Amino acid sequence: MTDEPLLRVEDLTTTFETDAGRLVAVDGIDFSVEAGETVCLVGESGSGKTVATESITRLIKEPPGHIEGTVRFEGRDLADCAEPELREIRGADVAHVFQNPQDALNHCYTVGWQIAEAIRIHEDVGRSEARARAIELLGRVGIATPGARIDDYPHQFSGGEKQRVMIAMALSTNPDLLVADEPTTALDVTVQAQILRLLDELKTEYGMGVLFITHDLGVVSEIADRIVVLYAGKVMERGSAADVFERPSHPYTRQLLGCLPGIGPPSAGGIPGTLPDPTDPPEGCRFAPRCEHAVEACFEGGQPEAVERSPGHRVSCIHYHDGYDESVLGEPPTRLGLADPKAEEDTRTGGDADDG
Amino acid sequence: MPPERFDRIDWEEHAGSSGFSASINTVAFVLTALSVLALAGYDRLFAAERETVFGALARDVGVGPRFESLGIGADPGALEYLFVITLLLFVWYLLAPLYQNPRMTRYYWDRFTRNRPAVVSLGWLFVVFAGGLLGPLLLSAPQQDVLAGHQPPVYLSIDASNVARCLGETVGGRCHGTWRYPLGTTQAGEGVFRNVVYGMTISMQIAFITTTIVAAIGITFGTVSAYAGGWVDEALMRFVDIVLSFPTLLFFLLILYIYGAGLGMFILVFSLFAWGGTARYVRSKALSIAEEEYVDAARISGASTYRVVRRHVVPNTASSIITQLTLLVPGFLLAEAQLAFLGLGDSGINSWGQLISAGRSDLAFAPWIVLAPGIVLFLTILAFNFLGDALLDALNPKTEAERGR
Amino acid sequence: MTGEEPLLSVRGLKKHYPTGGGLLSRSSGAVRAVDGVSFDVGRGETLGLVGESGCGKSTAARSVVRLEEPTAGEVIFNGGGRAGASRNDDGTHPNDVTRFGRAELKAFRRDVQMVFQDPTSSFDPRMSVGASIAEPLSVHGLSDRGRRRAIAEDLLERVGLSPGDYGRYPHEFSGGQKQRLAIARALVLNPDLVIADEPVSALDVSVQADVLGLLEEIQSTFGLSVLFISHDLSVVREIADRVAVMYLGEIVEIGPTEAVLTAPEHPYTEALVSAIPTVGPGGKRQEIELTGTVPDPSNPPSGCRFHTRCHAVVQPEGIDLDQSAWRRVLDLRHRLEAGEVDLETVRESIRARTDATGDLDRSTLGTQLRAEFGLPETLSDPVAERELAGSIEALLGGDADAAAERLASTFRTPCEGTAPEFTGHGGGHRSACLRHAPDVPSEPE
Repeated sequence: MTDEPLLRVEDLTTTFETDAGRLVAVDGIDFSVEAGETVCLVGESGSGKTVATESITRLIKEPPGHIEGTVRFEGRDLADCAEPELREIRGADVAHVFQNPQDALNHCYTVGWQIAEAIRIHEDVGRSEARARAIELLGRVGIATPGARIDDYPHQFSGGEKQRVMIAMALSTNPDLLVADEPTTALDVTVQAQILRLLDELKTEYGMGVLFITHDLGVVSEIADRIVVLYAGKVMERGSAADVFERPSHPYTRQLLGCLPGIGPPSAGGIPGTLPDPTDPPEGCRFAPRCEHAVEACFEGGQPEAVERSPGHRVSCIHYHDGYDESVLGEPPTRLGLADPKAEEDTRTGGDADDG
Repeated sequence: MPPERFDRIDWEEHAGSSGFSASINTVAFVLTALSVLALAGYDRLFAAERETVFGALARDVGVGPRFESLGIGADPGALEYLFVITLLLFVWYLLAPLYQNPRMTRYYWDRFTRNRPAVVSLGWLFVVFAGGLLGPLLLSAPQQDVLAGHQPPVYLSIDASNVARCLGETVGGRCHGTWRYPLGTTQAGEGVFRNVVYGMTISMQIAFITTTIVAAIGITFGTVSAYAGGWVDEALMRFVDIVLSFPTLLFFLLILYIYGAGLGMFILVFSLFAWGGTARYVRSKALSIAEEEYVDAARISGASTYRVVRRHVVPNTASSIITQLTLLVPGFLLAEAQLAFLGLGDSGINSWGQLISAGRSDLAFAPWIVLAPGIVLFLTILAFNFLGDALLDALNPKTEAERGR
Repeated sequence: MTGEEPLLSVRGLKKHYPTGGGLLSRSSGAVRAVDGVSFDVGRGETLGLVGESGCGKSTAARSVVRLEEPTAGEVIFNGGGRAGASRNDDGTHPNDVTRFGRAELKAFRRDVQMVFQDPTSSFDPRMSVGASIAEPLSVHGLSDRGRRRAIAEDLLERVGLSPGDYGRYPHEFSGGQKQRLAIARALVLNPDLVIADEPVSALDVSVQADVLGLLEEIQSTFGLSVLFISHDLSVVREIADRVAVMYLGEIVEIGPTEAVLTAPEHPYTEALVSAIPTVGPGGKRQEIELTGTVPDPSNPPSGCRFHTRCHAVVQPEGIDLDQSAWRRVLDLRHRLEAGEVDLETVRESIRARTDATGDLDRSTLGTQLRAEFGLPETLSDPVAERELAGSIEALLGGDADAAAERLASTFRTPCEGTAPEFTGHGGGHRSACLRHAPDVPSEPE
């Protein structure tokens, strides 16, 4: 099993039965996560990224949900696992960190108790040892004076600290895979930077695989090793962070990048149009109705076959197929202005010298 | 004329106007309610003791017995006038807005109809409502007829020895029911069917008048408490505590023994001590609504506190207290039935409880006297509970948000 | 803002919330959410107000429009035909919003509108969006139903929706569309100033750009002034002409956007700028990490409020340390003063690493303590080292108070003694940092 990645998801399809008909949230996506790497699932709200991760450990309620495809985790096929086994995996091997820490923490118990409890559920350790471990974990995730804070209740922590506590709780069982679902979206930019840095450190330290979900490519660029761009339940583009940021190929990826402040022409506006109705997805490429480069062939058949542009960098766009001209897509957006740290550094030292 | 544009309004033109304009519903309600009140006043001042108000009206206006020929021969009392006014409230502030906002109505209706039992319940309540409203106009009140006592319902039979005189066929010593009394008769020979129909009127009166009183006091106390804050809030809420801990039943019995008590007194006492929970609920709801950004948006548009409360806070609390009120009604209906059963009710009315009470001694051989009103009461209470549950789901914005994910 | 009268001029605005008062509370102080804030917004200008959550930026904005009653200060609004007023004899200003009576306040609110953060709660769920947009019109006396509707429909079109959306309800719209509707509602009274309180932070990045674009377009079409509140500098950069950076109830830096973002003068602004995610691998800039958390606003630090977290905190005369070591010594001092240094935790971590049992000797403990606080084995400055060592000795001896006192006597930054004044950097760019004050030596590089 040496070549087997930590997590391999193949042809994952998750559907829901709703009043309006069958809703296809995730439609045949593949991705994998290796130990010690961060894979980002990127997409707008409604693109199916959360459902995709919840399908891995079958957190989706069935019915109305229905999951198809293979999910291999550490060589085991999770589709074959029974519920008790899955529960064990969810707790011990795959940890989740959610967007709103205040919803995920129980306000009736101290954070120390909650972390210790998480440890004791999965390991046979004594109360005092679990507590010692909890203190250590709190310290590790950057809570100052963990010994003093362990008996505090969740409301005594700030938003960023709560997210740190959530991460500590997720780490308490030494997971092999950490699934972080928009963990920084509710946080301030400064705190977001701290949390991202922390996750990056922990990934190396614990040798975990991290599956990171976000709508913000700015965040992605901070931590991703590899990127999977999702749109309406389908993978549009995938590749290493370098590939996707330096040679964004799918029109959707490019437009997403163009939305970032400081990239593309100022006030370029967002992506016109809205996500397609998941109960009635369009024929052909899912993005075609919003794509400025769409040609007739884009509205026929299924999602175009992914084309390998460089090793590991695959794009699902018809313009890269034989017989089409990729130059119609134009040049990818480039970084502009502010983001250059060098220029910033120079002006600052200059300013200081003047004052001195 | 230039197209209407927001930046072309001359505000000087409107500077003096307060912006107050009564809605069509308010105007309609005030007009209709005033005419009912006028009729009630006329009834009190001009109609003779034993004369019906319409009879008096016909005499004074000089149209002869035309009203009576239309079947409007009823002589309403204070309770009936109150009932009509609450119905008007219901029509102008609940049904009319539903009609005026068809889009919203369809949305809620779609959500409501997902709950099948609730739709059936609504149908049943509509039958009770229509029966209560139209029954007394179409059917005359049940008359005593001692000779026709203990007649069985149609298709059923009873040992002929239990009946004084069998109105239907007597086959093999058994008396069979007739269509004259579809649900049989009581010991006194009153038709059970008519009694049940007249009981619907009583039940609807109880349901509508109590909820109106509870809603009016509860919403007023709740919103004033939430918006005034400080010591006013404190005082009002302590008063609510007192109301909630008040032994309503004992108080009612006391009044009953000292003064005697009719249905009106029952409704008054029970609803005057039942609004505590509603007030608390409205207060907490109003406090949370005051935090909503649309309230800030209204305030920053210059809206006065009264306007904010009237236009945003009350409508948004109302939709959730409708649920609470719906669930309050069964309690009143049961209380009335229980008091009647114990012989403490208003013996002058044809309520279901009175009927059950009247039939309990004949349970052994004439069970329909108890069963018919009992089943109707049971179904009605069940329907109110189902309806309340369904409204909770249909009107709760929380479930909207969850579905939106 | 030379010569021309600004549209909005805020001076010394304060908003304190009383705390405690209950039987069990130790003291009845006040949360100083906004503590003396001054800024101007010119006509047709966008001012960005930036800071972390809890810094008081939203409270400041709400106090300006009196959704909260300000505790002190002046808010002079010269829009809506109030231009050119001069002060009364008693020094008060006729256009001071904080002194407006009922009628004046109502008229004022025709000229100032807000766009809120949360699209899900900014519309009454029981009202059609058209009615919500038109509501301010009827508040201000436009009783003609047909005109109200026509105006609202025209606005719907202007914000990129269709007049047919008039009768639809909020739940039928996406978050981005609701923010468009919110902009329409803010416009309906034809205001001079729109206050946008984090209008895009609840939206997807792709939708953010959309809404920002609309806001800019509307602003330039109608010559609006905008006060734009956000925690995200990258968003502010897109839309603001000038930026004011707030920290703990005070403005620490204000100036033209490009100047503030490319050459931040205040260390806090530097830290905020460095936290903006930059896109592209290899684009990772050197980050300035803010240590600690935002202090309690009911008991803000003395002097410069940022000194407890500042990476560029000034060293006193006679001490010459590496800046990061200096910062860490100060951290140790603050933690000692707060009684937050727990020797037991230090012992635990040694035991956990070395499996040592029994008593630990002082030097091991001292070393571990320094390691926990990221301090070097010895400080480069001998005087500083002597004091630090002495303090640690006292701490290990069990006298934490003496340890704290000893540190406090030596390691005392000028920043905690003096509240910095604003210094100009040209072009209206000003910052409040002691490093720029003329009589304080700039920090050693």
